Amino acid sequence: MVSTLIEQIVNGIVTGSVYAIVAVGMTMIFGVLRAINFAHGEYYMLGTFGAWFAIDYLGLSYEASIVVGILSTIVIAYVVGQLVMRRMVGAPAESGVLATLGIALVLQNTVILVFGGGYKFFSGGYIEPVSILGFSLAEQRVLILVVCLLVFIGLELMVTHSRMGKAMRAVSQNVECCEVVGIDVPQVVLRTFILGAALAALSGVLTAPVNVSVYGGMGELITFKTLPIIIMGGLGNVRGTFFAAMILGIAESLVATYVGLQYRDTVGFATLILMLMWRPHGLFSTQARF
Amino acid sequence: MSLTQTSERARRRDYRIPLGILLFSVALAAPFIGSRYVVHALIIALVFMLPAHGLNLLVGYTGLLSLAQAAFFGIGAYTAGLLAIGYGTPFYVNAVVAGLAAGAVALPLGVPALRLRSTSFVMCTLGFVIIGQAIAKNWISVTRGDMGLSGIPKPYFELGPLSFTVGGTTGFYYLALAIGILATLAVFAVVRSPAGRNMVAIRENETLAESLGVPTWHYKLIVFMLSAVFAGVGGSLYAHYLTVVSPLTFQMYYSTTMLIIVLGGGAGMISGTIFGSLLFVGLTEALRITPELRMIAYGLCLLVLVFWFKQGFAPVINRVWNAIGGAK
Repeated sequence: MVSTLIEQIVNGIVTGSVYAIVAVGMTMIFGVLRAINFAHGEYYMLGTFGAWFAIDYLGLSYEASIVVGILSTIVIAYVVGQLVMRRMVGAPAESGVLATLGIALVLQNTVILVFGGGYKFFSGGYIEPVSILGFSLAEQRVLILVVCLLVFIGLELMVTHSRMGKAMRAVSQNVECCEVVGIDVPQVVLRTFILGAALAALSGVLTAPVNVSVYGGMGELITFKTLPIIIMGGLGNVRGTFFAAMILGIAESLVATYVGLQYRDTVGFATLILMLMWRPHGLFSTQARF
Repeated sequence: MSLTQTSERARRRDYRIPLGILLFSVALAAPFIGSRYVVHALIIALVFMLPAHGLNLLVGYTGLLSLAQAAFFGIGAYTAGLLAIGYGTPFYVNAVVAGLAAGAVALPLGVPALRLRSTSFVMCTLGFVIIGQAIAKNWISVTRGDMGLSGIPKPYFELGPLSFTVGGTTGFYYLALAIGILATLAVFAVVRSPAGRNMVAIRENETLAESLGVPTWHYKLIVFMLSAVFAGVGGSLYAHYLTVVSPLTFQMYYSTTMLIIVLGGGAGMISGTIFGSLLFVGLTEALRITPELRMIAYGLCLLVLVFWFKQGFAPVINRVWNAIGGAK
């Protein structure tokens, strides 16, 4: 009984790590653009498809497929960023919603059109179980946890110390002042966007061996999971996003075990609506910023 | 000055009324002109025109961007389907109850959701669609879960001693056309009333509207419910036409379709919604474009609309219309 509970919590933390890596990109993009990126899950899907393509068609190893997946997503994100995201600086919130919805439709359905809508089998990854403190956990899940921690430590350092991180924070505070002091705002937006998309792709490639199946609609599902997380974490708040993702991951895994698997996917949106009603500024900040 | 203008007008004949009559007669004669498949495409366009009219009131006139329309569409479809299967009620009862049910559900959902602004409101309305789908899937005793409702009977009418069933594509086309025209007239009446002007005032500047004594909160709530009523009636048509309702009625695909009709046609224009439903639903259905290709086209359209054609395509049509019609 207790061991099932702990097992589920550990599973929840792994799921939470997956969400966290995707959500942090989304929240950073919100920070600089003031727009929710409804297409963010699609980059997760693109990364997975890139890796699947590399393994199935090019016969590469899993390690190489990670690189292929992320690089192909970066190329697509660069094109989307140049054509669309740069124009969104200073645009009203509604046009951000509509434009990113449009991008999501185009990316998702192009992939379905090219590769077909069916489920595909993802072969590769490290699925051998390892035993840690009496629990057996697939190697891949351990890898996800480690990568998640490294990503967040790296992002924390980048945001506080690097030139790019400082520029990002500046843009998220005041766009006009950035232009006055000579920060290239569209450039910062583009870079943040590409970084976020690459992180989503990384998360997708890492999760693929655990989920096994790859399909065109998987991105939308992830977008719907990460929307509540970024609201819970407080929009634009990197550290809050990490904890919010963990909370949602654990909650989902507990609901799936003790309430019923079919209710798992609604946990996020139920939480989102409750959050918007009572604490729209997030769990981890005391004042509303947006 | 005014004299010259009058003479100018007199020389140029106004063809808009005869043209309108021509278009209306084309709409009436469509089943005899077009093939069966074209009529089917027109029915689908008319079915989607109803929720789009509701969404136009919300997005175009009151300025609230909502993705919840598919949820109310689904509620309407399920209500009509359950009534028709369980009680065998006439069509007009199903349609009215479906509309009222959707409107009634919109009240408790609208009260909290309308407190939110811009992006948060959009996400909240998106949540309604997702949760609606989960309920339709899991409330198996009523909705039959993933199997959905099937075998919904053809719409039948009972007017005093007279009772008849609307069967066949042609019959259903006239039914959908009649409801579509009624709905268009209803939207027209709302928009042209003082209430319609207040809605536009809320869209343009909510704070200013409130300071001028417009009860903005009540207006937003009523328009939100009204848009749900339109979606519910549309859902009842959908259920009776396709004879099948599944939990997939609650999906983003439908919300996006309705949004693209309104924005593509031109938000805040009745002619825009009619034109949009014919273009984006009727034409794509008639050309038998695959769903994937259609969604790519919708996506590209959204991008073009957001960045280049902020008014949608209706102003272009209106200009052509006026040029042909001979109005200044």
